[in-house]
This record gives sequence, C-alpha cells and structure tokens, in this order.
Amino acid sequence: MSEDIFEITREPIAKSGLEQRLLTGGAGAMVTFDGVVRNQTKGRAVVTLHYEAYVPMALKEMRRLGDELREHWPDIERIGMIHRFGELKISDSSVVIVITSPHRRVAFEACHYAIDRLKQTVPIWKKEIFEDGEAWVEGQSPNRQGNE
Amino acid sequence: MNEQLIKINVLLFGACREAAGTDQLSIDLAPAMDVAGAFTALSLRLPQLADFRRSALFAVNEEHVRPHHLLHDGDTLAIFPPVSGG
Repeated sequence: MSEDIFEITREPIAKSGLEQRLLTGGAGAMVTFDGVVRNQTKGRAVVTLHYEAYVPMALKEMRRLGDELREHWPDIERIGMIHRFGELKISDSSVVIVITSPHRRVAFEACHYAIDRLKQTVPIWKKEIFEDGEAWVEGQSPNRQGNE
Repeated sequence: MNEQLIKINVLLFGACREAAGTDQLSIDLAPAMDVAGAFTALSLRLPQLADFRRSALFAVNEEHVRPHHLLHDGDTLAIFPPVSGG
C-alpha cells in the first residue's frame, strides 16, 4: 500500500507527526507501539544505547513486513513504522509502529505482531553502553517463511 | 581458459564490523564462489571474523541468503550477527 510510511532516521522520532499523516478518515482505531530505551538490563545501569542499521535493507524488510501485515489482516487501514539509529538516551524512542483500522481488534493484534516480527527480521543491531563497559545485545536469526 | 575473478563488495555490521575493524571492503574471488567460501576467504584477511563463522547471517544485494548462495561479479555481500533492533 503506497500510503504506508516506512522510515529509518537518526533524528528523534516524530511520533505525533506520523500519527497525523496516517489518519485519513477510514480508521476508527489507531494503535501505536512506542519502544523506548530502558535504564537498566538485568540490574546493570544503561547509560546510552547505540543502534546500527543496514539502512536500505532495513527499509526493504520493513516494507515486506507491511505486506505481511496486510496479508494477515486485510482490514488494516494504514501502517507506519519509524526506526531510529545512532546514540539514544534513556527514554528516547527507538521504534514507533502505528496501525490504523476501522475497528480496534485488528489494530491491537497487528501492532503486537508487527513489533515482534520487526525484532526478528529487520537488519538493525543494538549495543548497550554501561557505566563500566559495553555489550552488543544478542539477537535473533530472521525466521523467513516459505522461501529458502 | 582464462577465468576472470569476480569482484564482491562486502559490508560488515554490528559485532562483525567491530571485530573486523572495518565496515566495508572489496574482495576478488574465484568465479562460482558461494557465500560460505567468500566468508572463509574474508576470514583469512580479517582473522577476527572467524569467531562469527557459526553465527553470522548473510545478505546479497539486500536479500537474506543461505551460505550456499552463489556470488556474481558486482554483488554486495553483507555479513552481520543475528539482528537486535526494536
């Protein structure tokens, strides 16, 4: 769907701008997932998070995820996803996913699925910077359906 | 028969990039080389990459591929750890 929005940015995510761009009248429900940087991992205080992205491929995978969402939930009105990369501070948004639909059940379900799937498939990596060290977060292998 | 080498552009991300000390390089390979063979050749040049032999994922021209995928001249091969976005 060409009116869907998929972006990767170094800038702070313009969440309400994204929501406004996606409200086109046909939706009765909008569900927004906002992934924010937490201040600790397993009790270890996090100072910043460093996100790295394979930008052109990440955009391709996000668009592919959009196609997947529309296949599972044909009632989806609009999809918006913005992922940020670079150095993020505590409580910064790293990813925002917005789904709109005529009725709320589809929006809730699709948005939940979308973030779970994004974390499996999109070529982005994060590294936690602690006060006394740093560590790459262990990731997931993409779980491709059908091909290969 | 004079077989031309194929030239591959390699991109490295995340912990792979950090271990290798570079995010991009070019490599000349024998024709009909697969991704696994390319990885072996790269590990000779960048020994720290060998640590990722079992865990690394691959993409060619921005599409996920398996290690047996055959490379062609001008391909972009990306090598990276399991993803951790979101």
